[in-house]
Amino acid sequence: MMRAPTRKAAARGLAFSASPVLAVKLPAWRSRLTLFLLFGAFVAVAVRAFWLQAMSTDFLQRQGAYRYARTLEIPAVRGKITDRFGEVMASSLPVKAIAAVPEEVEADQNKLRQLAQLLEMPLPELKKKLDSDRSFVYLKRQVEEKTAEQIAALDIKGIQTQKEYKRYYPSGQTAAHVLGFTNVEDIGQEGIERAQQKLLGGVTGSRRVIKDNIGRVIEDIGYIREPQDGTDLALSIDGKIQYIAFTELQKAVEQHHAKAGAIVVLDVKTGEVLAMANLPTYNPNTRQGLTGAQLRNRVMTDTYEPGSTLKPFTVALALERGMVTPTTVLDTPPKLSIGPASIGDSHGHAATMSVAQIIQQSSNVGTVRMAMKCEPREMWDMFTSVGFGQVPRSGFPGEVAGRLRPYKTWRPIEQATMSYGHGISVSLIQVARAYMIFARNGEMIPLSFLKLSQPPVPQRVISDRTAQQMRSMMEKVVGPGGTAPLAQVRGYRVAGKTGTAHKLEGGRYVNKYVASFVGFAPISDPRIIIAVMVDEPTAGGHFGGQVAAPVFSSVAASALRAMNVPPDASVENVIMPTQMIPESM
Amino acid sequence: MSNRSLITVVALLLLCSLLLVNSQHQARRLFIELERAQLRQRNLETEWDQLQYEQSTLAKHSRIDAIARTSLNMSVPGAARTQYLSVGAR
Repeated sequence: MMRAPTRKAAARGLAFSASPVLAVKLPAWRSRLTLFLLFGAFVAVAVRAFWLQAMSTDFLQRQGAYRYARTLEIPAVRGKITDRFGEVMASSLPVKAIAAVPEEVEADQNKLRQLAQLLEMPLPELKKKLDSDRSFVYLKRQVEEKTAEQIAALDIKGIQTQKEYKRYYPSGQTAAHVLGFTNVEDIGQEGIERAQQKLLGGVTGSRRVIKDNIGRVIEDIGYIREPQDGTDLALSIDGKIQYIAFTELQKAVEQHHAKAGAIVVLDVKTGEVLAMANLPTYNPNTRQGLTGAQLRNRVMTDTYEPGSTLKPFTVALALERGMVTPTTVLDTPPKLSIGPASIGDSHGHAATMSVAQIIQQSSNVGTVRMAMKCEPREMWDMFTSVGFGQVPRSGFPGEVAGRLRPYKTWRPIEQATMSYGHGISVSLIQVARAYMIFARNGEMIPLSFLKLSQPPVPQRVISDRTAQQMRSMMEKVVGPGGTAPLAQVRGYRVAGKTGTAHKLEGGRYVNKYVASFVGFAPISDPRIIIAVMVDEPTAGGHFGGQVAAPVFSSVAASALRAMNVPPDASVENVIMPTQMIPESM
Repeated sequence: MSNRSLITVVALLLLCSLLLVNSQHQARRLFIELERAQLRQRNLETEWDQLQYEQSTLAKHSRIDAIARTSLNMSVPGAARTQYLSVGAR
């Protein structure tokens, strides 16, 4: 009932200005409050703007960039390894890694079975991997491109492929010990791959880009770091000689039922390693179930007692000191007593022998007679200056120094046995390199596994004259009346020295042998040194002249032909004696 | 400022902004082309590596040796059947 009079008043046409409402005075605080609230709102906006623009701008910009910018990794390719003629020996090719995000995997039995088949993995094993708690698992790495495409075609949710590289070795087991191999992370584990990891391994690059909604790269922003591909490496290895050396060694090891074998071929002029092979070996492309014996590098990392292949150094020392000449005749009794021990030869010989005959027939007694005239220090100096007891520093991983005890601790009997290669341990590469002094007219040069652009600076060890004399004496070793007529090469004059050593087992010499031969060719102007070692030959003889010399002969013949070295003898130069002279041990 | 110069400035501004849009577009187009070319380069490099690898696999000495001996019935000529010629010699 309260409204009725007002309505009546309006109906009556009361003027607006006369409205009583206008006359009502509002309290002053109300307008001030409104003003204050409005002002407060502006301040809030300003503070917020300041907060966003100034205080949390980094965070916001990062969040923004996170939504459109991506950092892409640019993988670098590992450098290729080639032989000295540029033939590829190791190369990285793209493959795929198959990975899964176990939480996201959705697949029926049928598809899983197909996947297991493509991965060459039993189904339960695959299921076990997919059952993992981890957010990311590799199912299989280094899968060939074709298989990876088939897997991608299965279109299973949660299964992804990633680009990676796999190392391939076309020469397979032939050059396994030279090259070594890399692991799945592309890091060198053995051989040259390990030694030159820094050079071969590239540096992964990265770039910051803007991607559009369908994932295309639209623009580069910010930094770009170019990937640095690994450097390609040219080795000193000659692929052809490597193959020849490997196959000939393999033949010998099979024929003589040997436990192991090793061969190394050096270039006399440059010190480059032309070939290096080991048996047993492995295929670096498929490395499942590798054993330690297969991995062992008998040329570089194993030492052995070389036996008679060390005699030439003792004789060279005696020649160099002017104690003897090649024609000097020495008394060579069947047994020689040194203190309580005695030294003998395994075959009978004349009561007197010339120095040349001592080398030719590998007489222990004769060598010891010369050695005992030398001071221990002189012998030690000789051995040291040709590299025994020293790390060869060829840059190959795992190379060893061998064992040459300081001369002050030598007893006379030890000096005597060392003169014919016992009581001292060396690696095959050391012996091969030491023969440089005979092949290079008395000089030594460092070794290299990389192709050299210029020959290194030589260092003189013995005189030219001594080296020449040694060479002609060592040529007689392969002639009739020597210990290694099987080392002769048709068309070329060769020289060398056999070695047959008992093996040491538990501190005692046992009836197991290491047969070796070290030689060089052609005599008129030596180009290659070949060192062959056969470990525990059990069939068809055990002497260096029977087991290792034929390997030298066939490798030298093929290698010299491959290197286009003109022959320095007539083709009828090979004379086979009716009876072979066994050498002393 | 007169009306006319105001219009000229506005027109110039419009023109410039259109040119900017255009050049931005061109830049992106060229960038995509560059990307494609780089991808092609990488693929060709990979192919080159692959071909080199194949070549050395096919030219493997063991393979050549086996083929020469078995299917081609070749043998190494003995030193007696080899004649060496040296440059400059008569």
